[in-house]
Amino acid sequence: MAMNPIQVLRNGAEEEKAETARLSSFVGAIAIGDLVKSTLGPRGMDKILYSPTGQYGNGEPSVQVTNDGATILRSCGVDNPAAKILCELSKVQDDEVGDGTTSVTVFASELLREAERLVELKIHPHTIIRGWKKAVAAARDALLESAIDNQADPEQFKKDLFNIARTTLSSKLLTQHKDFFAKICVDAILKIRDDPKSTLESIQIIKKLGGSLEASFLDEGFLLDKVPGQNQPRRVENARVLLANTAMDTDKIKVFGSRVRTNDIKSLAEIEAAEKEKMKEKVENICKHDMNVFINRQLIYNYPEQLFADHKIMAIEHADFEGIERLALVLGGEIVSTFNSDEKVRIGTCDLIEEVMIGEDKLLRFSGVSQGQACSLVIRGATEQILDEAERAIHDVLCVLYSTIKETKTVYGGGCSEALMAQAVQLLVEKSEGKEQHAVQSFATALRQLPTIMADNAGLDSADLIAKLRAEHAKGNKCAGLDLYNGCVASMDDLKVTESFKVKRQVLLSGHEGAEMIMRVDDILKSAPRQRAPDRCM
Amino acid sequence: MTAGNAAAPARAPVGKLGEGAFKDKEKPTHIRMSNIEAAKAVADAVRTSLGPKGMDKMIRDDKGNVTITNDGATILQRMKVLHPAARMLVELSKAQDIEAGDGTTTVVVVCGALLEAAKQLLSHSIHPTKISDAFQRAATEAIKVIESMKIEFDLSNKEAMMKACATSLSSKVINTHSVQMSELCSSAVLKVADPEKNSLDLKDIKIVAKVGGTLDDTELVDGLCLDNNAMGTTRRMEKAKVALIQFQLSPPKTDMENQVVINDYSQMDRVLKEERQYTLNLVKAIKKSGANVLLVQKSILRDAISDLAIHYLNKLKIMVIKDIERTDVPFLCKTLGCHPVASADHFTPESLANVDLVEEVAIGGESNCTKFTGIQNAGKTVSILIRASNENLLAEADRSIHDALCVLRCLVKQRALVAGGGAVESELALRLGQRAKEIGGVDGYCLQRYAEAMEVVPYTLAENAALNPIEVVTELRKRHNAGEFNAGINVRKAGVSNMHREDVLQPMLVSTSMINLATETVRSILKIDDIVNVVGRG
Repeated sequence: MAMNPIQVLRNGAEEEKAETARLSSFVGAIAIGDLVKSTLGPRGMDKILYSPTGQYGNGEPSVQVTNDGATILRSCGVDNPAAKILCELSKVQDDEVGDGTTSVTVFASELLREAERLVELKIHPHTIIRGWKKAVAAARDALLESAIDNQADPEQFKKDLFNIARTTLSSKLLTQHKDFFAKICVDAILKIRDDPKSTLESIQIIKKLGGSLEASFLDEGFLLDKVPGQNQPRRVENARVLLANTAMDTDKIKVFGSRVRTNDIKSLAEIEAAEKEKMKEKVENICKHDMNVFINRQLIYNYPEQLFADHKIMAIEHADFEGIERLALVLGGEIVSTFNSDEKVRIGTCDLIEEVMIGEDKLLRFSGVSQGQACSLVIRGATEQILDEAERAIHDVLCVLYSTIKETKTVYGGGCSEALMAQAVQLLVEKSEGKEQHAVQSFATALRQLPTIMADNAGLDSADLIAKLRAEHAKGNKCAGLDLYNGCVASMDDLKVTESFKVKRQVLLSGHEGAEMIMRVDDILKSAPRQRAPDRCM
Repeated sequence: MTAGNAAAPARAPVGKLGEGAFKDKEKPTHIRMSNIEAAKAVADAVRTSLGPKGMDKMIRDDKGNVTITNDGATILQRMKVLHPAARMLVELSKAQDIEAGDGTTTVVVVCGALLEAAKQLLSHSIHPTKISDAFQRAATEAIKVIESMKIEFDLSNKEAMMKACATSLSSKVINTHSVQMSELCSSAVLKVADPEKNSLDLKDIKIVAKVGGTLDDTELVDGLCLDNNAMGTTRRMEKAKVALIQFQLSPPKTDMENQVVINDYSQMDRVLKEERQYTLNLVKAIKKSGANVLLVQKSILRDAISDLAIHYLNKLKIMVIKDIERTDVPFLCKTLGCHPVASADHFTPESLANVDLVEEVAIGGESNCTKFTGIQNAGKTVSILIRASNENLLAEADRSIHDALCVLRCLVKQRALVAGGGAVESELALRLGQRAKEIGGVDGYCLQRYAEAMEVVPYTLAENAALNPIEVVTELRKRHNAGEFNAGINVRKAGVSNMHREDVLQPMLVSTSMINLATETVRSILKIDDIVNVVGRG
């Protein structure tokens, strides 16, 4: 039998068992953690994402500079199953709360790093998992207890939002202008807060090349990067907007191979005239609606454009899909594609449409929209990369703020919450009996790794700082955290470093869940490989 | 960096994993160095083209086309740089081009020098974020210094505008014509600029480049100059009534596919006759409207104008110009004050523009151009007709004039000038050096290096002008130290003199944006510690 191994699995399929499987999970997960951990914290480093074939598939090599964990992990191809789980974690974090995408990955990988050590000490994975379960409960309780809720006091709550925005921004490209952008983002989010219909969708982000980041601004109302056709009104008060998605060249018969057959040019000319007449009729039909602005998703050709001009109707062609959906949302209209039915069409309204100059370009501004909470955030910047990175940062901030107005609790940042949770877990260590104690201890260590990495990234002596931080928390100083700008331990309350409770809780819980899931694995089955692109990540 | 190794005493020995996973501390340093080297190589490539005595580069693309230029942005764009960090320098020069339009070489050279400084600082094991922060501080100080040097300016001062133009043009091929060109550009800008607003739309200045003649023949056309020939025999029209049509003067074509079926000879005759009749009717409609000059928009769907139609129009003494791009239509409408006509039955008196003289000008070679002069109720636009004896010179002249116009646009945006010829950079070196001594510490050390890096500009200017760079730079230092803050390199007199008195002036925006953008790029290169290859999507 030894001569002829029995082949159970299909040719090409692989199986990794017990120790090998676990080891490969650990290696993968830790490698992912190491990849992104240098981007953590306000002094984190950036990565270049280099795509030889180009982001948009146009063959031009493109370069992206970012320190957004989710973006990095999304872009690098990963083959290792455990590593994939971590990438998923950061993606879920991004979808769920928008920020903390790096933290969650690093936390999970640090837990696994600890677990690897324990497994080497011949502690069974299930013991570790049990220990972690207790630890995570203790940590969550500690976090909940330390959370502050200022919902009752609107002034204070606004300050909280501002501080959260600042904290989130401080690890991004916009850190130089964090006060400026924090104010913009808070203003934007407060606008949509009281309206149940509004979502983050109502805040529109427009990127415009040129100028500097400080030239960015929040505009009341909605901006559309389009201009009306020739000779049409440039300014409309009390606008009634009809949104459409219809062909404004001709209504083509969509049967394949349909064609006109004539015997002479005259009848051909007649058909052409008939087509034109049909177009005119369509325009007339559109104009019959009680409206004075027409926005179409598709092109409007010269002829209908002029007809609209004759009717003194502002006609805008080729609004992009996202733009028109958003317009429908904020103007309270519906998108129509046929006009001859007698059904009542819901028409969007707004007080004023006018042209505004942003940088060198003209845009249309819709102000006083029926859903009054809509606003546009215009980002200016010198290069495409800066604009993209700024947009990602602002998206993160808006997500965090949005989840904060839903869950109003806040906690301290700057490594304070982690140290606080580690402290609570540490207390549990002595109380736990048996081998679980090691697992609980490891959980505390992993938590403490987060501030350690932040300090390392800032070029500080992390061993010294973390020891001091630990001592402060042991003394009961609950708002001690790292001041990474001055390289010392300081009160986060004084520095106003605040984070959203929901983000922190999510980091703790999903980091733990991810790590636990990987721990439970003792066998990796690979189905027979199909052709796949080579993995260039590791 | 070193502190990190001592961190986390509880961390497991990861030696076994290390090989397969991730090298912890080596990689970031390595990546940073290779990024800096690559970026510096780019800077070195354009260094020799800096300044009035800078050399040109000849760039041959894969199709064998040759470009000769010393415009930094153009050189870099054509170089097809692959290294991701080097591409950031390409982006940098592009950003400077967008923001200021001039100084695209200088910004790259300064960035290279700053990177060299950063490299030295890194070798003293200063943490990259520290350097990055110190450089940001240096940039803020630098802007203050530049602002203290500014010379106020207002739009009525055409002489100062011409000086700024001349400075920009002095480094280009066409510097022998700089007086003429500056006069031309200044007049053009004064015509279209709105003194109330701080913006200038360069789209209002149409540049037509035509081979033939010499640079001396370059002129500013008060009115409109079109790159298109008149068709047929009518080449000159006094008291013209111009119509811009968007419909086609050719046999009818339906939007649906069509087919004319001919069964016998007599039918063929009829078809031809009908075609003539159809065309004649259209032409008659045009004649009836009173138009005697016809601009025909280009059409992709079918012939914009048939030979037959041209023939008829010629008979009726109507001048025809075809192939007007749709994108040019708004400009033409603005210039001529006409309305486009989308259908033959839409002619109205107000859609026509009255022009005193429309004339095709023979300018040698096959292609002519058409000038419109004496436009009634003309918009605020101008055309510039550039002439040069060969393609390369023409293209370079076009770029140079674009640069000069951008310089003027800067002046409209921010009405202040500073002395050129390396005066700003020398003053920065001196004042930042002094400041460095006041600050002390690591910041002071970095600031000192930043200040020294600034001298690369006068050094390179001198080197390219075949002066002794060391002598010149030391002389500059002496003069600046004595308080002559406008002292710069006078390339014409081969020595150091007061640049303000020599009328070598440049917009302040060029210098400030150079400092901001170069510093920003250096900082983002310093912050990068890894390059992740993106797996191609799609």
